[in-house]
Amino acid sequence: MPTLLKAVNLTKRFPGVIANEDVNFDLEVGEVHCLFGENGAGKSTLSSCLFGFYQPEGGHIEFDGKPVKFRSPRDAIHSGIGMVHQHFVLVADFTVLENIVVGTHEKGWKLDLPAARARVEKLCQEYGIELDLDASVRDLAVGQQQWVEILKALYLEARVLILDEPTAVLTPAESQRLFRIIGHMCELGLSIVLISHKMAEVMKADRVTVLRKGKVVGTVRPAEVTPQELTRMMVGRDVVLRVARDGAKRLPTEAAPVLVVDDLSYRDKQGKTALDHVSLTIGKGEILGLAGVSGNGQKELFEVLSGNLIPQTGQISLAGEQIKGLPSRHYMDRGVGLVPDDRFREGLIPEFNIRENMILGWQRHDDYTNGMFLDHSRIGTVADGLIDEFQIKAPSGATPVNHLSGGNAQKVILAREFVHSSKLLLANQPTRGLDLGVIEYVYNQIIAKRDEGYAILLASEELEDLLNLSDRIIVISGGRITGEVDPQNTTVEEIGLLMAGGRAEDAA
Amino acid sequence: MTDVATYPRKRLKLERRVNPSFSWTFTMYLAATLLGLALSALLLWTSGADVVKAFSTLLTGAFGSQKAWVATLSKATPLILTGLATVVAFRAQVWSIGQEGQVYAGAMGAYLGCLMFAGLPVWLYLSLIILSGMIGGALLGSIAAWLKDRFDVNEIISTVMMNYLIVFLLSYLLGGGPWTEVASTVVYQQTGPVPALSELPHLMGSKKLHLGFVFAMVSAVICYVLLEKTPLGYEIRAMGYNPVALAYRGTNIGRTIILVMAISGAIAGLAGVSQIFGTSHRLRADTLYGLGYTGIIIGMIGGLRPLGTVVAGIVFGGLASGALYMKLLAKVPSALVPAMEGILLLTFLCAAVAARYKFVRVGDVDV
Repeated sequence: MPTLLKAVNLTKRFPGVIANEDVNFDLEVGEVHCLFGENGAGKSTLSSCLFGFYQPEGGHIEFDGKPVKFRSPRDAIHSGIGMVHQHFVLVADFTVLENIVVGTHEKGWKLDLPAARARVEKLCQEYGIELDLDASVRDLAVGQQQWVEILKALYLEARVLILDEPTAVLTPAESQRLFRIIGHMCELGLSIVLISHKMAEVMKADRVTVLRKGKVVGTVRPAEVTPQELTRMMVGRDVVLRVARDGAKRLPTEAAPVLVVDDLSYRDKQGKTALDHVSLTIGKGEILGLAGVSGNGQKELFEVLSGNLIPQTGQISLAGEQIKGLPSRHYMDRGVGLVPDDRFREGLIPEFNIRENMILGWQRHDDYTNGMFLDHSRIGTVADGLIDEFQIKAPSGATPVNHLSGGNAQKVILAREFVHSSKLLLANQPTRGLDLGVIEYVYNQIIAKRDEGYAILLASEELEDLLNLSDRIIVISGGRITGEVDPQNTTVEEIGLLMAGGRAEDAA
Repeated sequence: MTDVATYPRKRLKLERRVNPSFSWTFTMYLAATLLGLALSALLLWTSGADVVKAFSTLLTGAFGSQKAWVATLSKATPLILTGLATVVAFRAQVWSIGQEGQVYAGAMGAYLGCLMFAGLPVWLYLSLIILSGMIGGALLGSIAAWLKDRFDVNEIISTVMMNYLIVFLLSYLLGGGPWTEVASTVVYQQTGPVPALSELPHLMGSKKLHLGFVFAMVSAVICYVLLEKTPLGYEIRAMGYNPVALAYRGTNIGRTIILVMAISGAIAGLAGVSQIFGTSHRLRADTLYGLGYTGIIIGMIGGLRPLGTVVAGIVFGGLASGALYMKLLAKVPSALVPAMEGILLLTFLCAAVAARYKFVRVGDVDV
């Protein structure tokens, strides 16, 4: 197959880091080429260079055999490259058709919607995409919105489609459908760059280029390597997630319930029901896994359980005490720790240094104050001890956390929440965006807390992780708990079905 | 990286600094001062003045003698206070423009106290006057904070509107209302003189510098300690950077906003007290006008830091008192001084941004 898009010795730097160094990459016509690597390995930088979003400092890009220089995504789009970002760029109040056509109009004043409709309908038919063109984007599910983004690129006559972690927001069934259509697109001559860190998807690609620390480790055909070999290429060593509990000393949940949630409902300010009659119980020394497609009420559930949102109805009892309606301060004082999913926005003060972040929420606690004043020397001692204990890599405790990598920033949150909580740990996506090595560390820490007797609520998009770690798994969909499964006797398909709301037609 | 030849183009590129550098920051502010002075010189030149003479009289008038220093510091006193009020609010990213109104409210509160508490022992009398001034400013500030917390009213709008309200309230009180000076045949917009006992004591035998300057210095120290050494200061700074995380970890944001605005208002109120009982010795609007707005400029130029604000306040005090000399001796319209202040603000704001960047040569090995 002829090469369509090629990067030659591409180098891109950012202040203090080299994001891509001498990267060579080529995309053949009609193939799915996966960019695989940990966060910060340079996948996004490379695709942003290919899409004209960044201009490389060294090397060049060839398209169709000719050297090209993309000064902006506009140039890339004109050449026939389309990109679907993780965060969609859609106008919620416009219809699907309007969203596809908006911004593509180049000549004249008249917007010829009927002609556009004919073209879009033809595209849908050609690729087997089912979408109501007159539906308002606001009313579409996230998975359908992604199709709008893809259609936008196709409408602009893209020959290359760059998909940035397209399955992050999809149910397993939706992901399958996406890959089916991707396969069909390739047969019709489209070429696809797929950015992913999920092994199952990577193995479906025609070729995989593995990136590590900004450099290409190698380009391989998945058919010729094992997943273990790919992981080793990505991380540079073997990774084992060890989760076994020592002995079978797990208590039944009912024997020592720590958190009992009964019939909790929450309506947000727009009146939308975010949590719908949720009941759950977590026992001492137990990890309860929470599975679900993101945006189905997980965030609200964590906010309610940490006292940051007050639900309209229902009961929350912690160690036998009713605490619904109290402000978050009281939850913290009673031993509830929270690891929020958006760590830099909800968990840290990015401009503050590590020491200051270690006491966030506890700045008025007797341990850290001396009369009216903050006891900076004591805070420094405690924080520096935690930096050592949690192996946080930083020049010193005075380093602002926005200078830390995602993994080290997450360790700051873990250290703070672990040390200040005593009964319940709420961990929402604690490993999102982290390197495998750090993921392993985070999970080991969570397991250590479980063995200490904490009750733990753990949400993750990685079903494999949930299956490995949890004692029980509940599945949330549309704010409702659609089911509970035993990780020993369930399948990804069963959970996927529950994630889609338990309706059989969604699993087709 | 031996293969430097692959980077044929060497060019300068602007890059964000990971860590600020002291010498670079200093250089930028020095450059900003020089540029500001150069632009001011241009302005003076176009207005037909003798530039050299104008600058030298300005400088002599501001810092040339002990007398000049006294005048400068007394002009700087209320500006430092309103500057500090700005620092407290802006560090929390509460964009209060209400310092102007809070100065008036402080002056009015203090005047009310001076009427109410007459007859008490002098030290108690003075303390209560100062306290009621601070309460006046704090109350006005808290109203805006409460509106923001309770109804999500934008503080910029509410504080600006309250600036108008308070000015008209004072206008009413002084222009025919209960506080109008009665003894005179011509009605001025002012009260009668305050009792001699309530006047703030003068410092170092000077007729101009008074206890208010001590308040300003003490307030600066308190602001520094508050922001850097106390849990509340921690919350104020954290709220400025990321209120979401602060609220997530148990701090009541609404309460913090109200505290911030009350403290900011109290400090601005102190500026009003200092003007009325230290300088004009009667309540009148013209000695209060513009202090709050200038304080915003001073707090910004001071980098929203108490010490920087004191320095900026003294420089602006110097400009204000030197302007008189410049007007008399170099025949320069004193209206050019606010224009020069504006120019300096712009160049300093540019310097603050420039201090966060550096030039790198693309292609260099050492990034």
